[in-house]
Amino acid sequence: MIDTIANVLLQGILLGGLYALFALGLSFSMGVMRFVNIAHGDFIVLVSFLLLVLTTALGLNVFVALILVLPVTFAGGFLLQRFLLQRAAGSDVLLPLLITFGLSIIIQNGLLQTFGADSHVLAGAGTLQTASIALTSGIYIGVLPLLTLLTAVALVLGLDRLLNYTRLGSHIRAVADDVAAADLIGLSSGRVYALAMGIVGVTVAIAACFMGLNMNFDPTSGPDRLLIAFEAVVLGGLGSLWGTLAGGIVLGIAQTVGAHFDTAWQLIIGHVVFLVLFLLRPQGLFPKY
Amino acid sequence: MVITPSAPLLAVEKLSVFYDQFRAVDSVDLTVTPGEIVSIIGANGAGKSSFLKAIVGQGGRVAGSIRFDGQDIAAWPTSRIVGAGIALVPEGRRLFPTLTVEENLRLGWDVGRRGGMTAEEVFDLFPMLREKRRVPAGQLSGGQQQMVALGRALLSDPRLMLCDEISLGLAPAIVNDLYALLEKINRRGIGIVLVEQDISRALNVAHRFYCFLEGRVSLAGVPRATGRETVMKHYFGS
Ligand SMILES: Nc1ncnc2c1ncn2[C@@H]1O[C@H](COP(=O)(O)OP(=O)(O)O)[C@@H](O)[C@H]1O
Ligand SMILES: [Mg+2]
Repeated sequence: MIDTIANVLLQGILLGGLYALFALGLSFSMGVMRFVNIAHGDFIVLVSFLLLVLTTALGLNVFVALILVLPVTFAGGFLLQRFLLQRAAGSDVLLPLLITFGLSIIIQNGLLQTFGADSHVLAGAGTLQTASIALTSGIYIGVLPLLTLLTAVALVLGLDRLLNYTRLGSHIRAVADDVAAADLIGLSSGRVYALAMGIVGVTVAIAACFMGLNMNFDPTSGPDRLLIAFEAVVLGGLGSLWGTLAGGIVLGIAQTVGAHFDTAWQLIIGHVVFLVLFLLRPQGLFPKY
Repeated sequence: MVITPSAPLLAVEKLSVFYDQFRAVDSVDLTVTPGEIVSIIGANGAGKSSFLKAIVGQGGRVAGSIRFDGQDIAAWPTSRIVGAGIALVPEGRRLFPTLTVEENLRLGWDVGRRGGMTAEEVFDLFPMLREKRRVPAGQLSGGQQQMVALGRALLSDPRLMLCDEISLGLAPAIVNDLYALLEKINRRGIGIVLVEQDISRALNVAHRFYCFLEGRVSLAGVPRATGRETVMKHYFGS
């Protein structure tokens, strides 16, 4: 009994690490640029397909492929912000929503055209996906889920250090504080936003890698990932990266508990817990704004 | 001894600033030579802030020419203008409230010419800021915030500082300190444009002044050579 509870909690926390990875880039862009990227989940799926191609067609190790892809997604985020999203900056909130909604549809249809509707998983990480560690006779933790959670924690630490202890981080926080003031003193917000979106691109690639290793994905998986990410960000509190990690873990535990009773309940219990917590504490667990 | 007028650091000609169809600044000519303090006085809404913002490439759409050190900067982005040595101390101070005092100061260095004062030197000028260096700027008093705003501009190593109503809402004793500092900065050869609503303060420190009225220069001259009544007449219009 105790073993079962401990196991369910543990698996939930590990799943939460993956959800936090989905959510961190969204959290960063919502905290810094105050906009919701409707295509966030689709970006993750898009990069998963890119990794799929690199691992299957070229036979690369998936982590080698990830390292190759990181500069690409950084540049992708930078250019997307500079040449598309920045044009919507300063307008009302509707325009960025519409633009990213359009991107979402374009990405899904483009992937369907190119790869068909089949679902895939990423391979190419050797025995990582099946290896597990026995904690007690009844409790095993998979090496991959553990690595996923550790990566999420490391990513939060890294983003936190970047924001609070680097020059770029202080520029990003300044622009988040007061865009117009930043422009007045010659700190061009367009450039800072573009770099911030480049960083989001890096988080998207990491999320894509671990999503593809941990679960199935197909061209239309994006909106589900967005929903989870969005719930994690809101549960954790806008602007707080540690909050987003906690939000992801809360969702992971809720889903694992639901699935323990009936696998059909997994997703619905997650959403119900989100709604209940949101009603009780709309500002989130660790609100910053 | 022959006194040769030095080439202007800033030469603005026929500068107009528009917000849509509305002309907030109307064909203004203004110069600042190196080492000069030039005051701009004028009532609320006269176009003073619009004028200063236009010089750093912000605010309304501009027409006319802005030459800094001989180069036409009217079409430059703000980052390039600041990098060339013009720093704006904006109206309302405009610090970043969640950034610490030190981080706010450092931003000045990051956007500037990279040869200016350090944060430590600003703390020497304003010792009370030193113990607040890790405090979010939003928690400072108005006077301390103004010191940080001036310090931020100084870190960018400006050759020309544009100060927009730095005395607004501050106690007279603090304003005296800030003005003493401006004169000290000026003696190092930094040109200063001082926008003020407080006429006597602005005229006391200025080498020359301009009076704005509804977007136009209604009067320009040397403070000591201009009678108080003449100034008031052109300040309010009549
Ligand atoms: N962003 C803006 N949009 C429209 N009108 C503006 C804007 N900023 C200033 N104005 C108008 O321009 C005129 C000059 O304003 P401003 O330059 O702030 O004057 P001052 O600094 O002398 O008080 C005012 O009539 C003001 O209402
Ligand atoms: Mg003003």
